[in-house]
Amino acid sequence: MTANTLIHDLLRELPRSVEIFVPELILSATVVCLLLSRIVGCDKKIPPCWTAIIGSLLAFMAIFAQFMYLKSGADAKTQVVRSLFEILQLSADGVGTIGPYFSGLLMHDHFGTLFRLGLLLFLVLMITLTVLTGIPDSEDGPDFYALMCGATVGMLLAVTANNLLMLFVAVEMMSVPSYVMVGFLKGRKLSSEAALKYVVYGAGTAGVMLYGISLIAGLLGSGSLPEMGDRFAFLMGKQTFSLASGETITLVLGIIMVLVGLAFKLSLVPFHFWAPDAFEGASAEVGGFLSVGSKAAVFALMVRFVLGFDGEVPVLQSLSTFLGIGLGVMAVISMTFGNLAAYTQTNMKRLLAYSTIAHAGYMLLAVSALLVTLNAPSGSSVNPSEGAVHCVEGLTYYLAVYLFMNLTAFAVVALVRNETFSEEISAYRGLISGGPATKVLCVCLAFSLFSLVGLPPFGGFFAKVLIFMAAFNAGSIHWIMWVFVVIAGMNTAFSLYYYLRVLKTIFIDPPPADRLPVNAPSLAGWYVALIALPLVVLGMSPLQDDLSRTAQFVASSLFK
Amino acid sequence: MTPNVYTATSTTLKWLLGTAWLLPLAGFVIEIFGGYWGGRKTKTAAWIAVGCIATSFVLSLSALLVWRGATAEIREKQATALAEHDAAHGHGHGGEHGHGEHAHAASDHAHGAADHSHAHTNHVHTDHADFNPLRTTFTGEFYRLARFGSVVVSMDYYIDGLTVLMFTMVTLIATCIHVFATGYMAEELTEHYEDHQVHLSGGRHFHRPGRFYRFFAFLSLFCFAMLGLVLAGNVFQVFIFWELVGVCSFFLIGFYVERKSASTAANKAFIMNRVGDFGFLIGLMVVLTYFGTFQFANTSPDEIGSPGLFQMVRDTHGHMVTEGDGREKVVLLQSGGNTPLHSQDGKQRVIPYWLLIVAGLGVFAGCVGKSAQFPLQTWLPDAMEGPTPVSALVHSATMVAAGVYLVGRFYPMFTPEVLLTIAYVGAITAFIGATIAIVVTDIKRVLAYSTISQLGYMMLALGVGGWMAGLFHLITHAFFKSLMFLCSGSVIYGCHHEQDMTKMGGLRKKMPITAYTMLIGVFAIAGYGLPGLPINFSGFYSKDAIIASALTYVSLNPQHFLLFYIPVVTAGITAFYMFRMWFMTFAGTPRDHHVDEHAHESPLPMVAPLCLLAFLAWFCAFRGEDGGLAHQILSSEPTHVRDGLEHGGILGLSLPSHHQIHEKHATAGWVALFAAGLGSLISYLFYCRRTLDAGTIGRQFWVIRDFLIEKWRFDELYDVMFTRPVHVIGAWCQGFDKRVLDGLIHLASHLTLQTAKFDRAVDERLVDRIVNICGEVTYATGRSLKGIQTGRLRQYVMFIALGVVSLFVLVFAFLPRS
Repeated sequence: MTANTLIHDLLRELPRSVEIFVPELILSATVVCLLLSRIVGCDKKIPPCWTAIIGSLLAFMAIFAQFMYLKSGADAKTQVVRSLFEILQLSADGVGTIGPYFSGLLMHDHFGTLFRLGLLLFLVLMITLTVLTGIPDSEDGPDFYALMCGATVGMLLAVTANNLLMLFVAVEMMSVPSYVMVGFLKGRKLSSEAALKYVVYGAGTAGVMLYGISLIAGLLGSGSLPEMGDRFAFLMGKQTFSLASGETITLVLGIIMVLVGLAFKLSLVPFHFWAPDAFEGASAEVGGFLSVGSKAAVFALMVRFVLGFDGEVPVLQSLSTFLGIGLGVMAVISMTFGNLAAYTQTNMKRLLAYSTIAHAGYMLLAVSALLVTLNAPSGSSVNPSEGAVHCVEGLTYYLAVYLFMNLTAFAVVALVRNETFSEEISAYRGLISGGPATKVLCVCLAFSLFSLVGLPPFGGFFAKVLIFMAAFNAGSIHWIMWVFVVIAGMNTAFSLYYYLRVLKTIFIDPPPADRLPVNAPSLAGWYVALIALPLVVLGMSPLQDDLSRTAQFVASSLFK
Repeated sequence: MTPNVYTATSTTLKWLLGTAWLLPLAGFVIEIFGGYWGGRKTKTAAWIAVGCIATSFVLSLSALLVWRGATAEIREKQATALAEHDAAHGHGHGGEHGHGEHAHAASDHAHGAADHSHAHTNHVHTDHADFNPLRTTFTGEFYRLARFGSVVVSMDYYIDGLTVLMFTMVTLIATCIHVFATGYMAEELTEHYEDHQVHLSGGRHFHRPGRFYRFFAFLSLFCFAMLGLVLAGNVFQVFIFWELVGVCSFFLIGFYVERKSASTAANKAFIMNRVGDFGFLIGLMVVLTYFGTFQFANTSPDEIGSPGLFQMVRDTHGHMVTEGDGREKVVLLQSGGNTPLHSQDGKQRVIPYWLLIVAGLGVFAGCVGKSAQFPLQTWLPDAMEGPTPVSALVHSATMVAAGVYLVGRFYPMFTPEVLLTIAYVGAITAFIGATIAIVVTDIKRVLAYSTISQLGYMMLALGVGGWMAGLFHLITHAFFKSLMFLCSGSVIYGCHHEQDMTKMGGLRKKMPITAYTMLIGVFAIAGYGLPGLPINFSGFYSKDAIIASALTYVSLNPQHFLLFYIPVVTAGITAFYMFRMWFMTFAGTPRDHHVDEHAHESPLPMVAPLCLLAFLAWFCAFRGEDGGLAHQILSSEPTHVRDGLEHGGILGLSLPSHHQIHEKHATAGWVALFAAGLGSLISYLFYCRRTLDAGTIGRQFWVIRDFLIEKWRFDELYDVMFTRPVHVIGAWCQGFDKRVLDGLIHLASHLTLQTAKFDRAVDERLVDRIVNICGEVTYATGRSLKGIQTGRLRQYVMFIALGVVSLFVLVFAFLPRS
């Protein structure tokens, strides 16, 4: 391919690419506006939070329209959505067509669009939370929101990445603003220290990942994710997947190194060391942002990356199964480690940090089950593509619920911190005796923690059930998946202890005598009630079925 | 009615009544939470409650009009058919005698093929399906809770003429009582309510914060439950709301929970109701086992082929199709049309006749508890410990009438044997209640015993086949009894919580509106009126209908003559004690000057409802059985009631037909009027003119008087029969427990102790060590995991390298070798 044809293709594709890329463009424009407003001095007149909210809302509307366009096949039922289509000039040739865009660097499909939708919704909720808690002061508001929006652009790129190059760019693009956000609490030693650790750790793993990318790209001669499997199969020819072949060793090394980079973002054991420190040092809002947003994005990225090696050839099948079991081992180690280490924590944010490590483990189990299921031998009881759809469905559902439950937990931590000036668990004693809004916070935190444990009737229960079911079905292909499911189930029981300890402190312990009554602002109560509501709704209402159908619908788009 | 019209009307009615039903629930939620967080000195809760129930009333009234509009054509056709039918009937038989003989002849041939003899079909060819109330009934499902196999547990609705009428009646009375209560409960609007009836040590009274909002919240919850009960489309749903009204009643009776009498009364009411509900549950189990559904009926055109209970047990002509005799007698279930119902394996589905009796008696047992019938009547007088608006709403007009309502609703399921039981229970209750009311001096308790007695009347009417008469009396009674309760509330309020009639007298001058509205109520309950005049007191028509039914029944079944004499005597007693109450309270001269000095007329929010209710108590039964109210009720009458029954069931009981009752009507009216007049006259002589001295007569008949004052000694009887034996058995059990069981246990424990000591040694030295090691290892792992987290940056970076390398090592260890 000459440079000439490349440019020609690019120009020909440009209108479609831009049409799909509108949400990212809006967010980028918001970043530019925020930064420029500082120079012009506008930020004194228009509070930066409004610019950020409007920008993110516009981006959300854009992606919502895209999603509805895909879901309803350009023929939406309500007038509002139809007029949205018209304003954004969505067309069947543009958004309506599934496939790579920007000369194959990014991928447009249902799966990516649902994740972009979720991430932008999360951004809107996150900005609202920071407005409520007032974490950026008027001085550095523009910087904070620019960083947050910038990181979100990185996440959006990650869920649509279709090339090793984009994989690296996206991961870095969401990491670099995160480093700064962790150290955003000026003048706090703990915060700066956490940021430094995060940066150095991130730089180290980024190096490893880049090395892995160069190995893979060098071996296969292309960075395009969907082509990796075919190229590798072609390269292997008649060789089997074993230590005897140099190509196998090189590729496995490369894959491991790339996965190290992703594992760092997911804070999987043994690349989790940064997480407790960074979460403790950063403000709770930033902690919430990191624990949900970047995790969701990287899980989507990981699914795309591992699906690159999917194929009918025996070599690829043994590679995938091998990889799946490897990820499964990593998953059970992560969840066991996360849950055990959370036992002795006394700081709420640190406890939640270990809890996110454990939850990353549960979700990784779905990816592991996906890889194992996809390569079911032809005679087995499991239909590979149907089983795989269920794995991705489980992961998507889990992430959707996880968004709300973790956001609720971190939001409550942030709002309580504003009242009690402490994030130690001991400061939560008898919190339920506070004002009405405080009571709402406590009850919502209870919902969130119950959901994190996975108790019915909360959304977390069904999320866990879906993933465990997927892994259990995969067990009929390789017995070790059953072992993983058993360990995961035991972990659920372990986790009950430390979550309930927090609830006991809040609801049963008497409040300290010297503390004034805690009266959270009522707006905070409404906000938290709003974001905790989906936990109940996704646990016991018809919407639960809707979400799992939608998840199934987008998952099936990956396997066409 | 075309399916389209049916669906449209059904949807409209469902939304109207559904909203009317749920509004009080919304009110309850707002009031209970708003009250919890709000102040105690505001009447907001009351206005919310009034607003909700008043809106419900408007919706119910619209539903009534919608229903009438949608079914006008069918009802008109029925009326025409009815006229022809009656005419033909009259010509076909020369009165009831001929009919009866014919029936004898027919039943000889029938071999029990049909429970209902077909004697008249030779003469009249009117299609009975025309009279089927299910043709004007709308059924459907609100929400399905669960499905267990073929059994569906759902929130259904069953809307016929009776449902919309009950809705209108309940919401109207409830609205009046809510408004009344805003005045009556006003003294609870305080932070420091002093309860004069709770004495603490040192002669002080009990203080507590006011509970205004809580009262209205419970009242709203009660309205929700009561409306749910009326709207219920299946008998299990009835049971749910049955219990919910029971709970509300418990809360409201025990409203002044610090008073020992109130809390005891609440417990008593609750526990005695549970006795009845036990029977109800047995009935439900029989129904579920043999019918496999709880739904009353299924009239939706979409659901033909899934019949409800009423459609299964009777065909469209209202006949129960039976087979066999004696113990082997079974009822063949129908499939909604006139075809038999088959189970999945093709067999005819049947229910043994005796089990149908058990089911009927079981459901009736529930009604006995709820409607305070003999022998479970003793809780209702004690329930007067609740605030007076509660007595008016819950314990006279609505909840206690729910038992009567359910008997009426479940009527197609009852066999003649069950109906006989109902009639006797009703008659006994009516008599007991009325006799006790003669000697009671507490104004509210007089009304309570009167309620028991009137509920007995209604049961009696239903039992003797006067379906319409029973429910007619239910409606009229609701109006005049709630009126009288509110009047008594007004008196109590005006006299500063004095309830003893012996301290009143002459209040007519101080509180004229209360006095004369109450007098209207007294006339209504006594059943005054002139036969033939269209604007008599409502009670006249309904009581007349009951006595007529009873008289006809007795003429058909002479061995049950008591069922006529008791209600007539009771009618006289009713007039006597009611006038006694009015004379003692309002007429004559004041007996206690302290009470009289402070007495005053109640404020407007309290007297306005009195006037409205007085109007209704007088005129609601306008034109009697030819009037709108009676026709509205009649539109829901089960098909089989119209033509009565001849020598049906195992006992060969006959039930009167409309035609037969009509012939006895005039006689019955005069008899009842005479009894009432006599009762009133004696009362006038005793308590107004004082020609006869009540005290002297009482002393002469002291045995009877004391027996009545002690309420027929039912409380003592139950004490001896149930409470004390339970105590004795309890004491025995305790003794056995202490002496025998404890001895054994001590021995066993001694042995166990020795074993345990040995075991402990093993445990401590061996098992504990292992467990401790496990625990320590887990915790130490946790701690050591914490130890890895040193916080040193250099180590972290080293861990990356270590991690990557160890992953390599692991992977290559597991990669296939060749």
